[in-house]
Amino acid sequence: MRFFQYLLKIDRRIIYIVVGLLVMLPLIKPLGLGVNSGPRAQTLFKAIDQVPAGKTILISVDFDPSSMPELYPMLAAVMRHAFAKDLKVLLCGLWITGAGLADKAVTEIPPEFGKKYGEDVVFLGWKAGVDAVILGMGENIKNVYPVDYYGKSLDSLPMMNTVKQLRDIPIMFAISAGTPGYQDWLLYAQSRYGMRVGAGLTAVSAADAYPFLQSGQLTGMLAGMKGGAEYEVLVQKAGYSKTYMPAVAAMDSQSLAHIVIMILVIIGNIAYFVTRKRGA
Amino acid sequence: MHVSTNILTWVAAILTIGIFSFLWKDNPFYKFCEHLFVGVSVGYTIALTWYNSVYPDLFNPLFLSPLSEVSLGNKLLLIIPLILGLCYFCRFIPKVSWLIRFPMAFVLGWGMGAAIPAMFQTYIVKQMQGTFLTPGIFARWDVLLWALISFVGVVCSVLYFFFSKEHKGALKVASETGIVFLMVGFGASFGYTVMARMSLLIGRFQFVLRDWLGVIK
Amino acid sequence: MRRNIPLAICLTMGVAMMVQFFVPHPASVAFYDLTTKWVRIVGAFALVLGTGSLVMYHIDKLQRRRTGWYYSIVTLTAAAATSVIGLGWGVKPGSPLQDIIFSNLLVPLNASMFAILAFYMASAAYRAFRARTKEAALLLVAAFVVMLGMVPIGANVPFFWFMVVVNVALLVAGFVTRSKALLIGAGALVVGLLAWLGFSGFKVPPLMLPDTAEWVLSVPNMAAKRAIQFGIALGGIATALKVILGIERGWLGGGKQ
Repeated sequence: MRFFQYLLKIDRRIIYIVVGLLVMLPLIKPLGLGVNSGPRAQTLFKAIDQVPAGKTILISVDFDPSSMPELYPMLAAVMRHAFAKDLKVLLCGLWITGAGLADKAVTEIPPEFGKKYGEDVVFLGWKAGVDAVILGMGENIKNVYPVDYYGKSLDSLPMMNTVKQLRDIPIMFAISAGTPGYQDWLLYAQSRYGMRVGAGLTAVSAADAYPFLQSGQLTGMLAGMKGGAEYEVLVQKAGYSKTYMPAVAAMDSQSLAHIVIMILVIIGNIAYFVTRKRGA
Repeated sequence: MHVSTNILTWVAAILTIGIFSFLWKDNPFYKFCEHLFVGVSVGYTIALTWYNSVYPDLFNPLFLSPLSEVSLGNKLLLIIPLILGLCYFCRFIPKVSWLIRFPMAFVLGWGMGAAIPAMFQTYIVKQMQGTFLTPGIFARWDVLLWALISFVGVVCSVLYFFFSKEHKGALKVASETGIVFLMVGFGASFGYTVMARMSLLIGRFQFVLRDWLGVIK
Repeated sequence: MRRNIPLAICLTMGVAMMVQFFVPHPASVAFYDLTTKWVRIVGAFALVLGTGSLVMYHIDKLQRRRTGWYYSIVTLTAAAATSVIGLGWGVKPGSPLQDIIFSNLLVPLNASMFAILAFYMASAAYRAFRARTKEAALLLVAAFVVMLGMVPIGANVPFFWFMVVVNVALLVAGFVTRSKALLIGAGALVVGLLAWLGFSGFKVPPLMLPDTAEWVLSVPNMAAKRAIQFGIALGGIATALKVILGIERGWLGGGKQ
């Protein structure tokens, strides 16, 4: 009885240490569990895979460094997929602190495939006014972004000669950590301009996206770090890239972390019910 | 183990430890990091707003571009949003703080007007289409079954939130069925939330162990 | 005048934008393009409010020497320095704003702030997540299915074994709390599992945990979330209409006028 009462009153810092150690250990000594891709990731992969070479896909970087571990791997994986298929990539963002992350991706990933800025990839940057930005892009991208993130006129970028408005883009991938995010693209880009939207979401908002998947409004979804890992595996299995896969490397820790949480919930419930029953 | 020799990586690592120190207890190092974060965020926002929004959309076309690039008519039109935008500054002058209502009225009215048909289309029409029309329901028995269960779930969950009538009789049965679906939905959300939070922690550990300490490759 | 003109502007813009959605006439499109541009410009100025409020709060704290006033120096100095560096050196590739400030200050601070939530969540789950009612227990089971099914460790676990573990937990809970309801529920579950086993030819049914998790997310979770979304959308449309028509006036702020 006293043991169960002690369990209920245990110092929270002991729980922190246990969680921290058990999450860190598989990073140092991997368990080798492997990752299988789910149907949602496969749908998105197939949709991007079927885009003809030379076409442009749009990626909206709507997240900030707080969601970077979950969403940056999917941004990198989708960009690698696009470049391997000779697709052009147009990036923009609705989150101001996501601009730096998109800049990082634009700097690091195109050189792996010999792609050049302005010809194969353009980053438009961030702009204030979420709905006004999306609706404006639907009519004319250059009206919204006269210059790109780096201050270069869009007229001087060869890639932008073939992409004038959202209807010129066969599919977009909205990587969102919340609001504004994929729902704004569905609200304004899809309802008005019929744009195909795929979503990369933090796991927190993934459960809320299933109605859009079922109704066909979303073409595939990547949920959290696991979604990023699934896409990395798909890209590697298709032979498009052989680079380090950070999301896949984290999956062992993810598995152990979930087991730890489940055990903590079970122990907490056992201790609670035993002390309540015996106390009564 | 191959500890980084890059001073900026060490700065990032020390700031990470500073934030994590809050787990032990609140301390001046954590407070310093917290206030630094707020300050840097504000400064970053100011810089990006200027370079990505104000300069290319307003300052450059209105004041710097020659008339051959931007006509006089277009320049004069830009004065209207400039005046509206400057009204935001009146918030800090008590005597004329009511002027902030003008830009707010413009942006709110525009936003609400643009949102209503979009919301109706995206959240009501398309979602109702998804509820009533599921592709392939007559092709396979399990698709039909899950579509029926989903339909019942949507109707019962909506009825749960109908508080204008007392939940008695058939409405009580429906709302209790709705609660079952809602609980499963919240459980699924909790499961995914655990995944999300743990991912963020794993990401930070990957930085500490790989980029800073070089323990993992 | 101070209230009526803004209300009139709100009404005019709201109705115009709603009508514009359905009117493809070039004049309507021109109006749409012009106002979209204006909203982007005015929206950028709105950031002034947040920034200004923060700066004024910290200056006031500094002047009055309130508790922790020295941290306000950190905030104001950091804001000023970052603004100067950003405005001075710009956002070109390799700029100090990106390479130094964003990558080595903003990223670790922002990411760490949210990373510590994992510990709080673990502690909260341990202390507060109690399956006191049937509904809470159902929530817990659904959460466990998703948590295990969505990670690699659950990829090769048959759903049958998961339900066996749940059944054992129900039995133990029933004996410990001496609850008839739990014991009857556990008994019913045993019968159900045995029937399932029988239908599968006394072999472990091939339904795996990830497939079950996917079903939980695609069917009951989807239904619940759709219902919630209907409510939010209808509430949002109603609120938008109230704002446009001037019934909802909270945005005007207080004061006699």
